[in-house]
Amino acid sequence: MRLDEVDARRGDRLVLQGISLELRPGVTAVLGPNGVGKSTLLDVLNGSLVPSAGTVEGKRQVATALQSGDLARRTALSNVELALAWWGVPKDQRQSRAQGALDSLAVGHLADRRATRLSGGERRRVHLARAIAVHPEVLLLDEPFAGLDPEARAALLSDAAGVLRAAAPTVVVVVHDREEAWAVADRLVVLLGGTVAAEGLPGDVLAAPPTAEVARFLGYTGELRTPEGRLLTRPVHTRLVLGGRPAQVVRRAAREDDVLLDLRLAEGQVQAAAPYPGPQVGDAVQVEVTGGVRY
Amino acid sequence: MSFFWDGLTEAWGLVTDGDPYLWHLVRITLQVTGLSTGIALLAGVPLGLLLGLGRFRGRGTGLALANAGLALPPVVVGLVLALLMFPRAPLGQLHLLFTLKGVYVAQTALAFPIVVALVASAVSSLPPGLVAQARALHAGRGQVWLLALREARVGVLTAAVAAVGSGLSEVGAVVLVGGNIEGVDQTLASAALEKVDAGQFSQGVAIGIVLLGLIAVVMAGLTVLQHRDQL
Repeated sequence: MRLDEVDARRGDRLVLQGISLELRPGVTAVLGPNGVGKSTLLDVLNGSLVPSAGTVEGKRQVATALQSGDLARRTALSNVELALAWWGVPKDQRQSRAQGALDSLAVGHLADRRATRLSGGERRRVHLARAIAVHPEVLLLDEPFAGLDPEARAALLSDAAGVLRAAAPTVVVVVHDREEAWAVADRLVVLLGGTVAAEGLPGDVLAAPPTAEVARFLGYTGELRTPEGRLLTRPVHTRLVLGGRPAQVVRRAAREDDVLLDLRLAEGQVQAAAPYPGPQVGDAVQVEVTGGVRY
Repeated sequence: MSFFWDGLTEAWGLVTDGDPYLWHLVRITLQVTGLSTGIALLAGVPLGLLLGLGRFRGRGTGLALANAGLALPPVVVGLVLALLMFPRAPLGQLHLLFTLKGVYVAQTALAFPIVVALVASAVSSLPPGLVAQARALHAGRGQVWLLALREARVGVLTAAVAAVGSGLSEVGAVVLVGGNIEGVDQTLASAALEKVDAGQFSQGVAIGIVLLGLIAVVMAGLTVLQHRDQL
């Protein structure tokens, strides 16, 4: 499937502008801030929203798992069977395919449990099972990991990575969180300002964001002025060392395993992680900056 | 207070003696209720689904009209229909005035907006993701409607209960259109009214008690059906 110079509107608002994108086999994660048009892009891909300009070529059999994940008041197995009926799967194949999809998402043992008695994480797995059971050519998932507690989310992310690759030749997952993208995606598309701001292998996009805006969105929170231009850095590029550049701690935030420090230097500001308890606000420290990207 | 005691005694006598007058009233009442509710459900459920689930211009107006229909004064409906059924009026050729068929029409006209409004309300209250997900997995309109009816079954049966309740207890439109003719189109409710008008209070109370018993039995059945998942 390929989108060529696609514009899309929601009412009077132009949400997507000049989107050109080729969907390749594998799992593509679409990452972007709230309201940037990620769900609108899925609507264009599944045909429920007609672009106001541009073309969508090579239309395929597309299944979409929406963000809400509401289930019918019936058993988990029956919910998946119902989805197969909507998809037009013959009745004699539905039960085995539904059970297989539930098994692949580790909820096969809950097949006979009513949806109202499932936990949030279990419901989300049954919801995903509905979408993967139909075996579409293109599978679109809208924020499948949103709204789960951290434990359920981590477990689902771990299980979903393999399942999604087997679910359909081409999978597009809209994610809100970078961690989710790194966990499941073969390719990454960054949407900013209603357009494709970056596209490529996740590691490549993270290592060399094409613009400063993309870099900032991907967690390049530090900025130093250098003779060669602006150097944007992530916390991983900066460490506290003796004999490094002088800096002062201007803010600190305790995290589970360390503290995240905002450090002011003569050339700008960077973030760095330090082992707990770390320096306090106002302390003078010395840092070494060993990476980053220049713009 | 003696009216109530006399009425209770008379009601017991009417039921246990198998009084043909009473059983005719019960039969006509059930006929009017069943037919009007059936037609209202057949026509009103699809329209309620369309208004509740559809996305089209004029949906808001349709919903407002259906909701307004809930408050239709039966006397006004009866009066308008009676005027339309006069020999020289638009429906005059159908010879519905002062007939049982006319009562069916009047009661259906009252039950129809009840069904439309309550079904629309029930299905539009479903989790929005449920119906949208069905559409996203290529469910046809019929499949979406079946899903919505099944998921909103408590609300849909509430519509049926309300339509049945209207059919069992309605008087104004039935009397105006049917003429309250004994042995032809008189129902339990309109017969009770006639007895009270004639000063036969204990008979009116007796028929009223039978009507209440009938309502209790019918509504108990519908309530069991409505909440069988929870009961």
